[in-house]
This record gives sequence, structure tokens and C-alpha cells, in this order.
Amino acid sequence: MLFGVLLLASHSNELLKQIVIAPGSIAELGVPADCRADELEEEGLSLLECELMVSNVQIILASSPEWFRPLMFLLSVSGILFAALSISVGFSFVNNKSVNLNWAKSCFVALIVIDLGIFILATNTGPLLRAQYLWSTLLWFFVHLFLLFAVVSISSKDTEGGV
Amino acid sequence: MSEQLPKPKVAMHWLVAIGVIFLFVSSWWMLSLPLPSEDFTYRQLPFQMHKNVGITIMVMVVAMVALRIVKKRKQLQIKKSRLERLASLDHLLTYFLIIACCISGYLSSSFSGWETTLWWLVDLPAWSEENDDLNIFFSDIHLWTCWALLAVVAVHIGAALYHAFKNDDVIDKMFRL
Repeated sequence: MLFGVLLLASHSNELLKQIVIAPGSIAELGVPADCRADELEEEGLSLLECELMVSNVQIILASSPEWFRPLMFLLSVSGILFAALSISVGFSFVNNKSVNLNWAKSCFVALIVIDLGIFILATNTGPLLRAQYLWSTLLWFFVHLFLLFAVVSISSKDTEGGV
Repeated sequence: MSEQLPKPKVAMHWLVAIGVIFLFVSSWWMLSLPLPSEDFTYRQLPFQMHKNVGITIMVMVVAMVALRIVKKRKQLQIKKSRLERLASLDHLLTYFLIIACCISGYLSSSFSGWETTLWWLVDLPAWSEENDDLNIFFSDIHLWTCWALLAVVAVHIGAALYHAFKNDDVIDKMFRL
């Protein structure tokens, strides 16, 4: 349940990021950052940091191949759906509402496929995006692998018990 | 078997949990976006979403507190153990800090001169003209109450894991829908 909540938040933020940082937006046009002294004071930023915030967006845009954004968009939406489903699977386990283990297995397999998808996408970009995505994706991959095998193990115990 | 909690309360607990984690994650990356100006509007959508989710969470938490007060009045005074008293304190702190985070965030936004339209539907009132000092003041309160909330949430999750591994009925209550 806890992992489901964290994953849902993570994928929804990724989706928001993909929506906001769009190709052709102002950072790509070489417009200098607007760093007013009062804003810098409010945010506790140096002038250099403020300018680098635009560079940060430029890094993401410059490192994203054309196919990256639509595919990440798709994987984030799928991630949100399956994270929500994994929470409902968690609820079913606790409520013992005749948990459909095949359903649970499919959910975790889907989450593993999504993790692998993000991993492969990030691997095929440059080092700047790889640095942003690979480590956290690898962690999620192992969390989902762990949960999948927990369900597989429960499932096989149930089968043995039923024989 | 422990007493079952009302389903709306359980649902609200988990919706608030999802919302709070979303807010933490969003605040960490959206503040790395370029400062807003006429040209640079990257922060608009994430900030609006942050405010939408935050205000919605606050309404839900206020409802949860109201439910808790009503329930408390109906209950007889039962002597609590030290752990139960600590758990109650953790709950109260969590409620207080969520509400404090949301109000300070809203006031900071209000004094920054940015308008707040809840879910792009309801215009919320701005409390005054733009005021940098008050904006910074409430922004600092927002920052520190949120860090405190993260610490309290960590304690809350730790306590939940303690009950889960103990396999007692306490944790089950929050999962029964």
C-alpha cells in the first residue's frame, strides 16, 4: 500500500513534468532568465542559480529525443493506472475479499514492464537523462520484482494447500 | 477483531496520504523550474496543481478532524496506555501540520500576488495586495511546517509498520474498505 501511494505520486509528478517541459517552449528559444532581485530574495537563490534553472530545462529538452516525451507520457499514465490498481490489490489482500492472485500477478508484471520501459527509454538517451532516471527506476524495478515474487509464492502455497 | 472504522474515513486517510506524498514530490521538482515571468510560465501548471491538491487535502483533513471530535464526544473516557497516548499525539500533530502547511501555503501564494482558482473553477479570495514581507514570512512557515510534517509522517509510517509486523488488529482497521 505504501509503495503504491509513493509510486502513484511519483508517476503523476512525472506526467506533470512531461506536460510542462515541452519542446519548442521558451527555454529553447534562448530567452535569458528573468531573475529579479526581489524574486531571488524570496526564493533564497543566487543569480547564477536562477540562470541555471533555465539551463536545467534546456538540459532536459536537449537530451530528450523526439520519441522520448510521448513514450514517457504513455508510461507515466500507465504507471498511474497500475499504481492505483496495486493499491486496490493491497486493500483486497487485507480484506481477504477472495483475492484474485492472477489479477495481483498481472498488476505487478505490468509495473515491472513499465519500469523496464522507462529504463530502456532512459538508457537510449544521453548521460544527462540517464542520470535522472536510471537509479530510481532500478529501485522501483526491484520493489516490484519483490512484490511479484511474494504473490507468486503465496499463490504456489495456496495451490499446494488446495491439493 | 478490532472495531471497524467508517469506510469514508479509511478512504479519506488514503486519499490524503496520496495527496501529501504528491505534494512533497511536486514541491521538490517544481521549485527547480525557471522563476516565473511573462515569458517563463513553466511553474504555472505545477503550482496550480500543488494548490488544488493542497486545498482539497485541507478540506478533507478538516472533515476528518470533525468526525474525530464527534466520535470522541460519544465515547466514554477510556484510560489510554502510553503508546496509545503517543499515537493520539502523532495523529493530532499530523492533522495540525497538514492544516498549517495548507493555510501558510495559501497565504504565501495570496501575498505573492498570484491568484488561486481551485481546480480552475472557484476563484479564492486574495487577502491583500502583493506584500513581499508577508509572502516570505508565510513561505518560511510553509517550509518549516512541511519539514515537520514529513518527520511526523515518517513516525506515523514507522508506527504502522510496527503494528503490521506485530500482526495486531490496529493496522487492519486502516485497510478495511
